[in-house]
Amino acid sequence: MSCEIKSKKRAGIINPMVTCQPAGAQYASIGIEDCTAIVHGGQGCVMFVRLLFSQHLNENFDIASSSLHEDAAVLGAVHRVEGAVDVLLERYPHVKVVPIITTCSTEIIGDDVEGVIRKLKKGLLATKYADREVHLLPVHTPSFKGSQTSGYDAAVTAFVKHFATKTDECNGKLNLITGWVDPGDVAELKHLLKMMDVDATVLFEIENFDSPLMPDKSAVSHGTTTIEDMQGTANAIGTIALNKYEGGKAAEYLRDKFEIPTIIGPTPIGIRNTDTFLKNVSKLTGKPIPESLVRERGKAIDALQDLAHMFFADKKVAIYGHPDLAIGLAEFCLDLSMKPVLLLIGDENPNYAKDPRLLAIKEHAEFDMEVITNADLWELEDRIKNKGLEVDLILGHSKGRYIPVDNNIPMVRVGFPVYDRAGYYRHPKVGYNGAVWLAEEMANVLFTDMEYKKDREWILAMW
Amino acid sequence: MSRKIAFYGKGGIGKSTTQQNTAAAMAHFYGKKVFIHGCDPKADSTRLILGGMPQDTLMDLLRDIGEDKITVDNVVRSGFKDIRCVESGGPEPGVGCAGRGVITAIDLMEELGAYTDDLDFVYFDVLGDVVCGGFAMPIRDGKAEEVYIVCSGEMMAIYAANNIAKGLLKYAEQSGVRLGGIICNSRKVDGELELMQEFTKALGTQMIHFVPRDNVVQKAEFNKKSVVEFDAECNQAKEYATLAKKIIENEMFVIPTPLPMSELELMVAKYGLID
Repeated sequence: MSCEIKSKKRAGIINPMVTCQPAGAQYASIGIEDCTAIVHGGQGCVMFVRLLFSQHLNENFDIASSSLHEDAAVLGAVHRVEGAVDVLLERYPHVKVVPIITTCSTEIIGDDVEGVIRKLKKGLLATKYADREVHLLPVHTPSFKGSQTSGYDAAVTAFVKHFATKTDECNGKLNLITGWVDPGDVAELKHLLKMMDVDATVLFEIENFDSPLMPDKSAVSHGTTTIEDMQGTANAIGTIALNKYEGGKAAEYLRDKFEIPTIIGPTPIGIRNTDTFLKNVSKLTGKPIPESLVRERGKAIDALQDLAHMFFADKKVAIYGHPDLAIGLAEFCLDLSMKPVLLLIGDENPNYAKDPRLLAIKEHAEFDMEVITNADLWELEDRIKNKGLEVDLILGHSKGRYIPVDNNIPMVRVGFPVYDRAGYYRHPKVGYNGAVWLAEEMANVLFTDMEYKKDREWILAMW
Repeated sequence: MSRKIAFYGKGGIGKSTTQQNTAAAMAHFYGKKVFIHGCDPKADSTRLILGGMPQDTLMDLLRDIGEDKITVDNVVRSGFKDIRCVESGGPEPGVGCAGRGVITAIDLMEELGAYTDDLDFVYFDVLGDVVCGGFAMPIRDGKAEEVYIVCSGEMMAIYAANNIAKGLLKYAEQSGVRLGGIICNSRKVDGELELMQEFTKALGTQMIHFVPRDNVVQKAEFNKKSVVEFDAECNQAKEYATLAKKIIENEMFVIPTPLPMSELELMVAKYGLID
């Protein structure tokens, strides 16, 4: 019984699982109020990312592009940033925060984004927009490095570094850096903090991505984390970053620069990780965990134990997606007596092989398990089609949907993007409620599969 | 606070030689702590200090062992008078992107904290000309604040210097970089000193030093040494000492005023045709 953690050996990528760094930076930027990012590169770097966002969230998000063409690639393109900032500010009087997100082309040609920001501050902002509060900040996300995960991490760090401002007074709040999550997750995390009576600065407040359609047509889907929120992160009583690889660096920065007590991880997926999260919140704030959450936990455990022994035990699961999500899901599956036999992480990071969570899984593996980094979706498809891998369930996002469809394997959609199931962004995967939702989703797809395949479906009538 | 300076100049002008001899003189005669970051893909900006080229370049290591295994210790070498040296390295001629190599290398060194506060000077030795965004990396915001252009009285060297001044002008506003002066590395051409004086005046800068031609420079190079290490008593070593002192004491930092081509040609012709 062993668990191997290794990097994909085959050259090339067949059906990529993740997209590139600027996508992550853009996902972070739409969580900030009065913020419109300018992606400095070709138009596709925005167009396809916006498409993913709108597919996943069924909402529209405004993101600008400096729209490079051949001439700009050869002659240098910072003037496109100057033009873009001017047009953006003129057209959108409310915009205050403008991250300039770099891409492969502009990083390769060596465009000096810091320099052009300095120039714009002295020129355009000081003259034409002298009466406006405008923040320009560089976010370096060359696409040939890392993935959307590291791009998200880089952007959170850039925002925190730019805004965090120490004052004499502690603001009494807890910084909660969520990582790349869904609106439903943020709602659930805020629910937990409210039960704990903890006032928190959430990076980023994306509940409104699930936006109402109002009678006055005022609905705008956008994040609501404010400049003041981000400035205040330097004066918090503590920081919790839930996802090590999506916001962990920003938490470390706040810890090192402003001596803020900091806990990184765990991703609160499942009972065990949610317990740890609440204990961490209690540790940093001194607030006790209330009886109401003990009851909530009890309900969740009751729901899980109804399913675990009967339907989950020994079920083989393949999981793919962002590192923190995939690891959290694997831990949850293990707690439910399932066997996460294959874990695919879509990018490469030397820390994955050293991640204590993966090492713990490795140490306690009671079945053969593989963890593949820098993986693509072919790693999964090939094993199932050609190498005899049998799995009972797949957990992953919609980009891999043809694998379960072609091979008649039940699948629960989780991660980013999910566009072939309705409203999934609304549901939490974190917290006790997330644990219940995930477990019941898994159970229900297994049930449907039993019925569809006429596989002991009568059990469902007796259960 | 360390002073970060960049050396530019036409390829083959003696830029790396002048830079290393100046570094050696600063360390030997004035006890300055110097760090040289060679930004030329040929990786020959530190050989006189290190006595040959025993160094793996940053880009070599990036390819061979990966970014996360690169440390200050495995990439920075100390040479003559504890001058610390690193070479960016870069692609073989005709492939890849040397400019990106410069960006990657400087980013990495900053991330690793290689440019420590105890240094008096950090030198960036940059190839040829500011041909693309990558080669301007050393003069971006927060990096080199002063630039010295190595030049001679030859027409093409002056063209190159004028072009570099154009590059500086572009960055002067964005990053605050200034021209500290022109170093004349003499080729013993006609009217060299006069031409150089008129040219530097037109650029709005100074000829910070006129380094005479001396065969000992070649001799030292064959021995893989700087002139100062080879023979600290010789006249040329004193010339480099003077140049080093002038740079240490320099207070003239300007935004250059490069010349239009027509004026430049007239100026060069005026001195080149004296007979």
